Amino acid sequence: MDIGKFIKAPEYDIIIVTYRDVFQASICEADRFGPECREMSAVIILDNTEMKRMGISNESNVLLKSKWGNVVVKVRASTKSEQKGIGFMVNSPWSNALVSDETLNGIPEYKNIHVKITTTKEVLTSLEDLLAGL
Amino acid sequence: MEQSVTWTCTGCALLCEDIQVIINNNKIEKVENACLKGKARLFGCKHPARSTINQVDADISEAISQAARILTDSEHPLLYGWSNSTSEAQHAGIELAQSLGAVIDSTSSFCQGITINEIFKNNLPACTLEDVREKADVIMYWGADPMSSHPRHLSKYSYFPRGELRQRGYEEDRKAICIDVRQSRTAKICKDKFYMIPPQGDAEFIRGLMDGLSGRVPKLDYDIKRILELAATLKKAEFGVIFVGLGLIYSIKSQMQLLLELINKLNEFSNFYLIPMTGHFNMRGFNHNLFEKTGFVHRVKFTDEGAISGTEYSVIEQLKNGADAAVIVGSDPLTSLPASVSRRLKNIPVILIDPCTNLTSKVADITIPCSVSGIEVSGTAIRLDGQTQEISSLIESNGLSDEVIIRRIMEELD
Repeated sequence: MDIGKFIKAPEYDIIIVTYRDVFQASICEADRFGPECREMSAVIILDNTEMKRMGISNESNVLLKSKWGNVVVKVRASTKSEQKGIGFMVNSPWSNALVSDETLNGIPEYKNIHVKITTTKEVLTSLEDLLAGL
Repeated sequence: MEQSVTWTCTGCALLCEDIQVIINNNKIEKVENACLKGKARLFGCKHPARSTINQVDADISEAISQAARILTDSEHPLLYGWSNSTSEAQHAGIELAQSLGAVIDSTSSFCQGITINEIFKNNLPACTLEDVREKADVIMYWGADPMSSHPRHLSKYSYFPRGELRQRGYEEDRKAICIDVRQSRTAKICKDKFYMIPPQGDAEFIRGLMDGLSGRVPKLDYDIKRILELAATLKKAEFGVIFVGLGLIYSIKSQMQLLLELINKLNEFSNFYLIPMTGHFNMRGFNHNLFEKTGFVHRVKFTDEGAISGTEYSVIEQLKNGADAAVIVGSDPLTSLPASVSRRLKNIPVILIDPCTNLTSKVADITIPCSVSGIEVSGTAIRLDGQTQEISSLIESNGLSDEVIIRRIMEELD
């Protein structure tokens, strides 16, 4: 019997900081519905040491859960050292699925998104899933 | 017939005026000098917008008439977007908002609007990009990564060029400093003058830096020696500039007075200026044009007593509670706003005016295709430092501009 399938993958609290990337922005400007835009958007960048601590491997899928929504995105290991407890996502519908509607001074917390991260075997959230979830 | 044209780019708010474009038979064939963003703007989207009513193809005049009917029936319309439109279209939008007694807001509402407001109130000293190129010796990128957001910023204006007072250029005459939560592409260029701070740590860093500038030992959990070195560099600046990015603004959005205090402190020793890193090509234009008309940069409601402004008139708060119809021009809120807010667009009539099919098209009741501002439509735009520039069209289009569409909607209002 595969006992592993009854064991829930551990969840970790992280803060997502969104950013802009010229390569993703250019691809998505040309074709917001295309696979390249999705591949460059449905991604979270994590520090290598942090990934080891959380048992997350490079290029695997993770489930991100906030009070406001869930998405499955791919993990990429950062090529440099990042601060602990932080993930980076490019600005996109995938990051926006997690952002609270509560604002300070009318500005959402795009760079301060509190989520739980866990490994998953689920497939990446598609744009169609995001639209259906609205 | 082949034609070579010098063009002002509308890929971002730098409005680079040195783009060479080869046009043949009304098609763009070759582009020189443009960055990735500029080229993406020039070559356009793969899915042009269609004229639709209730998601079914419709004649554009019918779509315009239906849009006018929706707005006539609406008690609390919201007019939103505008940063990818010429100033001429923005003026038309402001007129439409006034005639409807509507709320009008732009993407600056969750971008640099609050910084531009402080500049307009003369609370923050500003300068031009040419000033930076000719004079600046200390350049700070704070919560900003222009190598990604405005790719030619460093090479054209802020760091690499020789300037009138900076003939030795970046090698000897300029110091570039980056303060950010990660080592961005811009931070890499700043090398050992990159200061990594924790998310939401900007306010504490500002206070520590002000301590350092005042000759006190900074009280924060950071390498104190590095803060004191930074303070010393800033004090010695002959002409300093802070390029304010969203990383800084989002972190201190409810404490903007800290930025004012920092600039005032710096100017006890030096000459420091500030330029907000607005993104879309004419975001700042909207702020100027609305301010000229109402005295407010964004988040405006027109009433019988005049224009009023407040957080409750921001696009976010209006979508949460208030708006019963929305006109969206040149923007895609389903991509750029929190889904927890943009999902409310499904519950109200939405009129989308845009050159491209985008995510918002999927929930819009009316979609009206418009020509691309700055490529198919000429006009005026305002650069991120507040300088007005003429934007010429490159190719001819049979489509209507967003300005014409807005004016036709206005003509059809009951």
